[in-house]
Amino acid sequence: MQTFTYARPATLAEAVATLEAHGPDARALAGGTDLIIRLRDGSVSPSVVVDLKRIAELRPGIRDGDGWLSIGATTVMTDIAADPRVARQFRALAEAAAVVGSVQIRNRATLGGNVCNASPAADTAPALLVYGAEVVAVGPGGSRRIPIGDFFVRSGETTLARGELVTSIELPVPARRMSAVHLRRTRRRGHDLASVTLCCGVDEAGVARLAFGSVGPRPILAVDATGVLADAGAPAEAKAEILERMYAEASPSPRSMRASPEYRRAMLRVLGGRALRIAIDRLAAGE
Amino acid sequence: MSAEIGGALVGDSPRRVGGHGRVTGLQRYVADLHLPDELHARLVTVPVARARIIAIDASAAERAPGVRFVMTAADLPQPMPRFGPQFRDRPVIAVGETKYHGDPVAAVVAETRDAAEAAVALVRVEYEELPAVFTIAAALDPGAPLVQDPSLRPGDPLASTNVLREHRVAWGDVDAATADLVVENRYTFPIVTHFAIEPHAFVAAPDGDGIAVWSSIQHPNWLQKILAQILSLPLSRIRVFAPDPGGAFGGKQHTKYEPLVAFMALRAGRPVRLVLTLEETFQAVRRAAAEVRVRTGFMTDGTLAFQDIAADYLIGAYADIADRVVGKGSYPGCGPYRVPAARILARSVLSHTVPSTAFRGFGNPQVNWAVESNLDAGALALGIDRLEVRLRNVARRGEAFIPFDTPADGHWEQPLRRAAELIGWGTPLPPGHGRGIALGIKSGPTTGLSYATVRLLVDGSVIVFAGTSDMGQGARTVFAQIAAQELGAPLDWVTVVMGDTSVVPYDQQTSASRSTVLMGNAVLAACREIQAKLRAMAARLHGLAEASVGVDRGVVRLPGRDLTVLEVLVPGLGRLGGELVGNGEMRKDAEPDHPLGGSAAFFEFNCTAVEASVDEETGDVTIARYVTVSDVGKAINPLQVRMQDEGAAIQGLGHTLMEHYVFDETGRIRNLGAIDYRIPTSLDLPLEIVSEIIENEDGPGPYGSKGMSEGALLCVASAVGGAVREAIGVPIRDLPLTPERVWRALQERP
Amino acid sequence: MSDLIPIRVTVNGRARAFDVAAHHTLLEVLRDDLQLTGTKECCLVGECGACTVRLDGRIVDSCLVLAVESDGGEVTTVEGLAPEGGLSRLQAAFLDEGAVQCGFCIPGQVMAADDLLGRVARPTVAEIHEGLAGNLCRCGCYEQITAAVTAAAEAGPG
Repeated sequence: MQTFTYARPATLAEAVATLEAHGPDARALAGGTDLIIRLRDGSVSPSVVVDLKRIAELRPGIRDGDGWLSIGATTVMTDIAADPRVARQFRALAEAAAVVGSVQIRNRATLGGNVCNASPAADTAPALLVYGAEVVAVGPGGSRRIPIGDFFVRSGETTLARGELVTSIELPVPARRMSAVHLRRTRRRGHDLASVTLCCGVDEAGVARLAFGSVGPRPILAVDATGVLADAGAPAEAKAEILERMYAEASPSPRSMRASPEYRRAMLRVLGGRALRIAIDRLAAGE
Repeated sequence: MSAEIGGALVGDSPRRVGGHGRVTGLQRYVADLHLPDELHARLVTVPVARARIIAIDASAAERAPGVRFVMTAADLPQPMPRFGPQFRDRPVIAVGETKYHGDPVAAVVAETRDAAEAAVALVRVEYEELPAVFTIAAALDPGAPLVQDPSLRPGDPLASTNVLREHRVAWGDVDAATADLVVENRYTFPIVTHFAIEPHAFVAAPDGDGIAVWSSIQHPNWLQKILAQILSLPLSRIRVFAPDPGGAFGGKQHTKYEPLVAFMALRAGRPVRLVLTLEETFQAVRRAAAEVRVRTGFMTDGTLAFQDIAADYLIGAYADIADRVVGKGSYPGCGPYRVPAARILARSVLSHTVPSTAFRGFGNPQVNWAVESNLDAGALALGIDRLEVRLRNVARRGEAFIPFDTPADGHWEQPLRRAAELIGWGTPLPPGHGRGIALGIKSGPTTGLSYATVRLLVDGSVIVFAGTSDMGQGARTVFAQIAAQELGAPLDWVTVVMGDTSVVPYDQQTSASRSTVLMGNAVLAACREIQAKLRAMAARLHGLAEASVGVDRGVVRLPGRDLTVLEVLVPGLGRLGGELVGNGEMRKDAEPDHPLGGSAAFFEFNCTAVEASVDEETGDVTIARYVTVSDVGKAINPLQVRMQDEGAAIQGLGHTLMEHYVFDETGRIRNLGAIDYRIPTSLDLPLEIVSEIIENEDGPGPYGSKGMSEGALLCVASAVGGAVREAIGVPIRDLPLTPERVWRALQERP
Repeated sequence: MSDLIPIRVTVNGRARAFDVAAHHTLLEVLRDDLQLTGTKECCLVGECGACTVRLDGRIVDSCLVLAVESDGGEVTTVEGLAPEGGLSRLQAAFLDEGAVQCGFCIPGQVMAADDLLGRVARPTVAEIHEGLAGNLCRCGCYEQITAAVTAAAEAGPG
């Protein structure tokens, strides 16, 4: 790969200053499981790579308090998948983190990297959408919170401004109990990039949330507040009508070599139906 | 589990010879070797399927720091030297035209890997993209551009087409044959690649007035011959080192970039190393794809009346060994059955794609997929059980199932019955499950020549020189076991030397599962020569007639008593010491009138049976139970045999369920590399694998062994396909059976 | 020519200090600068696991780690698993179960298996498959590798 200047800021302010100074010529490095691949294939050629892992204010870790679970941006998937608070309250996120690549990948891949890379197939995105996560970003103008639904633009692009970096992803402890599940479609059972990722959550008030990815330029969240989807006893046709309206937002790329648009749409329906049933069952079981 | 003196080591499974280095990381593969003063090379390609090279400007690259030079066709002898095991069609580097996506046009040589890589981007190639053919239909179109220059095949009427050769096998009269039912279908097999975990690696260095070359090559002597021809050097001045490859499966049999690296080393006056990236290996080697039309005639009782097979194989832009693959692979295409009339027409079709080469199975899996699936189709139409139809038709031992070739050399109904038993054929199936059963057959080597030298040293230790390539199949261990057994040495006192053409005697090649039989017999013969010398020694020492002395494995038998080898060897060699040397040769000569140049030394025979379920919503195939039974004659090392069979099964599940090249509309490969070319992982295994062997000690190799290691790959797809068909009720005739493909078949189900 | 960055890394228990280029991966530095060729190069995109090493207590694909990122850390490669010339119990189990064919993937498999046994004393077959899912074996030794890990687990730490 081409060479670059390696920056290892010790403070957030330093990191922000470096990122702002270089703009698109700088790339943030957390786990490296996406960036190193792009550096090697030449699809990105930054003059500066900013290693975030020694920043004092950016230590990895999961903290709870004030009604939020705060996941440090440099927290790796292994730790997210294993955290008992995530498993208990945000189970679909734990499930998603557990399938990001292999053990070796999960030991390095970070939540911040997964969202900033903004792949439409990002495994954690659907769960974050269902749970209503917020991204905390720090930049030259200070700190701000970006609802995850406003974060993804298209593949590789987020609404982060120049010089901004993500410091944590925060999940609100829901006021009402919600059960959710993460499902995905791959080409083999072994680890793989997903051709459909999906998360479905159902809460005590009967609100159903369905988020899906890899079927369009960005992951999408659809919400049903009628209570029909969440109702185990509601007729299938009524559910189908609501689900079809949700799926209508999907626009899978015809150019993908991983799966055709027809198959993706079909699997969206299959996974959506399965996820809904699992979420309803989990809620009923008190999970 | 270490060996014991005088123990019966053949038939045991001692620890793999060479295993210690593999688990500790101490073993050196080619890419682990470094020579003093070495230079690093990288290849330059153009990002299109086919192009006319207008000009190459390497000036900026050659000025870059650390770059020694850039080599192109203009720097090589004129006319461009060409090579290839079948046709001398392949240039050392592309000249005038690149013929496939990945065909190198230049090579950068630099002091460091970084410098070489950076300079690649500075080489300016001016080219004009040309239309490329990369499917069989496109290649056969009368208006198609010709892949190969017709002047390479003077006088050949096919030279004006992209058909390289036609191979015909026939017996009986297919057109006059009567049948109660004729089933005709078309099947396809995808382009897949070997994906050995070790990418190809090559090093060359000037060596006095000659050259030394290190390569991950399976055939070091063959490489030596080609280098001698291209470099105009005597064989004695070319030394090929062939460290054990890190997986090969046929993809490292034949010369690829060694001549280029040799020219670069000679020009530089220093060692030059070229290690391919994984993506570059996908652009260097692959299996031939195939479209096979099968017309099978059946009688109402399920017996075969005729087989009429037309197989088109899509080979690459250079022939490599691909045409031999087509000829030899299609030849036993009717399968191990009694077929009264047969006609096989197989064609090797050139295309602007990566040269296809040998790959485990050697052209047989493609035809097997079609013929076994068609057999199932006929059985279903007739209402006959698919196991039964095979039992009715399978050739019995001694029958000339291919009239002019080696008769059936095994009790083939045994693996068939055993596999059926192990899969529970005929027992009730859970809903949504199906079973498949299939037979695979492949001709072993048709010619061969292996020499071995064995040295029995004064302390009883042994050195075996055998030119086979141990790429994981365990050849080293097999030869060590034979020598240990015959000469009474502990296994860890036997050293096996391979992979050095200056030191190890000639071996024709490591392919066609030949080495246990051919080289094994050569090693055995060398041991016998030493045993004869021991007999003479014992006779001399004890004043006996030689005829009264026997050597039986590690024991010297005199009338009335037994002595160890050492008890004869040490006094026999006397005060000056020394050693006993034995040489062995195993040869299988060509039969010029035979369609394949020779009859098969043995057949590899396998029965695979599968139980699978299909998730009808997603198309996912789950293999609940996988059974493989091979007829091996004698397992010299049963654990290694089992691992070869299970490994072949898992490899075969790759092309069955997930592997295939994806091309764009211009013929460029889209899924280069490991992210989008999927091979089976530990999570993709069948829920249960059972492998067994049949040992009737009826093979031509040492102790009645036959060759094995390809057999278990031959009918993976057919068996899985049969199970899937039963599970979903419709046949699928194209591979791989990806979830999406299975899903589509379900959507189209009537 | 890029500037070299001085780093200090403990490699296989030995404190080392050396200079690396920013863009060189840990894999390249281990193989080319430290001559630890046991760790292998294959896919270079974090899919095959042939480059698996332990970094600060966790296994990673060293092809996706810049050497500079390991500064101040601890790296263990396959060469560091056993005493000089010896075999760990896990490595011996690989040999006894025949879990080795061509051997090229084996250093990575052994590293991943060693990591798994450090986290789960008696892993189930499913846990072994998941723990080693990031290590491709084209020779298809998965069953024997699984048996070796199981055998090593039963034999206890060593």
